[in-house]
Amino acid sequence: MLELKHVKKSYDNVTILEDINLQIKDGEIVSILGPSGCGKTTLLNLVLGLTPADSGQIIFDGKDMTNVPMEERGFNIVFQDYALFPNLNVYKNITYGLKNKPEISTKEEVDEFIELLGLKEHLNKKIEQLSGGQKQRVALARTMVMKPKILLLDEPLSALDGVIKESIKQKIKEIARDFHLTTIIVTHDPEEALTLSDKVLIVNKGGISQYGAPQEIITAPQNNFLKEFILNQLEIKRNNIFALFQQDITRKVQAV
Amino acid sequence: MIRKEREIKVIYVLVLAIFAVFLAVPIVRLLMESFIGEAGAGIENYVNVLTGKGFMKALGNSVTVSVSSALISTLLAFFMTYSIQYTNLNKKFKTVIQTLAVLPMLLPTITYGFAIIYSFGKQGLLTKLFGTQLFEIYGFNGLMFGYVIYTLPISFMLILNTMGFIDKKFMVVSRVMGDSPVQTFWQTIIRPLLGTLAASFVQCFFLCFTDYGIPASVGGEYDVVATVLYNEMLGSIPNFNRGAVVAMMMLIPSVISIALLKYLERYNMRYNRISQIELKKNPVRDGVCAVGSSLILLSVLAIFAVIFVVPLVQEWPYQVNFTLEHVQAVLNDQSLFGVYQNSIFFFFCTALIGLLVTYGAALATARSGLNGKLKGVIDAIALVTNTIPGMVIGIAFMFIFSGTALQNTFFLIILCNVVHFFSTPYLMMRNSLSKLNSSWETTASLMGDTWIKTIVRIVTPNMTSTLLEVFSYYFVNAMVTVSAVIFIAGARTMVITTKIKELQYYTKFNEVFVLSLFILGTNLIVKGILGYVIKRKEKKEN
Repeated sequence: MLELKHVKKSYDNVTILEDINLQIKDGEIVSILGPSGCGKTTLLNLVLGLTPADSGQIIFDGKDMTNVPMEERGFNIVFQDYALFPNLNVYKNITYGLKNKPEISTKEEVDEFIELLGLKEHLNKKIEQLSGGQKQRVALARTMVMKPKILLLDEPLSALDGVIKESIKQKIKEIARDFHLTTIIVTHDPEEALTLSDKVLIVNKGGISQYGAPQEIITAPQNNFLKEFILNQLEIKRNNIFALFQQDITRKVQAV
Repeated sequence: MIRKEREIKVIYVLVLAIFAVFLAVPIVRLLMESFIGEAGAGIENYVNVLTGKGFMKALGNSVTVSVSSALISTLLAFFMTYSIQYTNLNKKFKTVIQTLAVLPMLLPTITYGFAIIYSFGKQGLLTKLFGTQLFEIYGFNGLMFGYVIYTLPISFMLILNTMGFIDKKFMVVSRVMGDSPVQTFWQTIIRPLLGTLAASFVQCFFLCFTDYGIPASVGGEYDVVATVLYNEMLGSIPNFNRGAVVAMMMLIPSVISIALLKYLERYNMRYNRISQIELKKNPVRDGVCAVGSSLILLSVLAIFAVIFVVPLVQEWPYQVNFTLEHVQAVLNDQSLFGVYQNSIFFFFCTALIGLLVTYGAALATARSGLNGKLKGVIDAIALVTNTIPGMVIGIAFMFIFSGTALQNTFFLIILCNVVHFFSTPYLMMRNSLSKLNSSWETTASLMGDTWIKTIVRIVTPNMTSTLLEVFSYYFVNAMVTVSAVIFIAGARTMVITTKIKELQYYTKFNEVFVLSLFILGTNLIVKGILGYVIKRKEKKEN
């Protein structure tokens, strides 16, 4: 279990996050959702260990991680721009970490990740020959090979379009379920957050606006921010799509 | 920071130490020397130098000739870049212009002067061709001619670079809005370029003002600040303290120039995107540009022709049959060819050490979590090295390292060049490094890499093109510079350019030109090889 207690962070006297308290159970997918500048990426970096907290505690499985360096926490991240190494091919990217820690994954396990993420036919390709969705899957594989205790994903879907988005979503769910892996995802898209995760953490102005399962958030929004910015947006989307399908249905009915 | 970045801190401290010992301390010493007179410390030297007739006259001369040259260079460079960017001339022709225009950069300025003498002098190649001497070469004319050749390539590259980033679609907009051709020309070409044109002028002025190679050969009786400085330091009656004053005085226009350049940066227009349009058909414009550019390049090349002609004939201008005798003589003369061999080794070291220093400095500023103020120090160093003329660094080195174990060592010359040429390659490195993905180090360290490992395995392989460019920048510049090394090169540490200066003293011009040919050839080979490697790499990546 990951636990944040009274975590606070500010830059140059500007408070980014204030008194964050949070518990994430093992194997849960949690999305951090909020408008840009709300502090959600900072929160992700705090968990990762890239940014130190000003005060408060980060506890993982009963161990205080607050002052443990990033490399020793055992968490791992896929960045929004993937940060793949262009001088190495796909396979060398995926197995990069094994050069430093060969014992971490066996050859079979690596092949399993490659199989799962459908990368078999791309292994010898250069990074720039890949599409956005393929890059995302390579980055996921590279991170999974390191067997992280927590998987952090920074805007994993924002650079992808349409169908690819849905398939990557599916892969993320599969990975979390198959490996019982705690996964924390940062996103600014309510639809993404609510359809992908077990729990959604809505952050606004440096504080937690609401934390709960998608159903709870839809049925029992706790404040105006949630209603106006999150639910409203989803309703417009729903209405547009309904209207679209409605026309289609009407036309079909008329045709008959 | 949870990440400690111990390595980058060590690098940072090392870089700073180098610049403290080889830049800050010498310059402070120079400043101090300028205040020490026979009657103790004071402004006595300044009063002496400034009230002396010679210096003020030289200063006036310097300003006049530098301003004229800078103006002409910028105009000519604009004309050539316009021919490349805004005409429908043949692509191959444009490539030829682009290649020839920067060719003079591969030769030391001291050679330009001798080339002018052998072209326009009484027995000059061009004088023979025209049957009469076109103008008096010693003094203002010769200087201006030399300076223009020297600064034209730099101005050309500067303007061409900005011109390539002007969105030509605005010409269409201007035309459909009913502008006259003159208005269109002004609004869509000149206006966006104003900052760069001014910058080119200032840069050329700075280069002319601080160059020593050209006045050393064709200055004649027309004294400029650089010649006064040389005479005070190494002339028949040297006076180091007065020399220090002159050096400080040379620093002032340099500082002003760089301040101006910084200021002009804000006038650079930024277009969001560059779109290519089909240029209007206009044979008159194209014809004028083709003829004009060809004439400019021909004049430059005509002067350089002598470098090839003089050393390859029996005895210019009396016996003009072809011979390799002089080349062979140089090859056989260990005092000459040995200098060449030494120099190559030494330029190679300069390029290598320069590469390491700039890479380290750029890593600290572009890829670390160091405090912004600490990073600012390195940026400031880059600015300062850009401001200080080579001659001033050379003299400062002379003051501080004379009598130490470092005097007359190649090591000293290498560091002098590394410091002197730091600015441009450092900025090249910083730009490329900051364009690389910012999450690589974090990602790699999560994969168990140490920082050094990431630099070796990930960052460096993605920097090859820039690293090679920086290497070649240092190599070529170390090869052609004379102004700084002339003060610190000893008999055992002769480099080619200082040897040329010595040969001039003995009027051995065949050897001067043979060595110049060697310099040109070596630079062409180095640039050629590195350019080829970079191109191949880029092709492979696409």
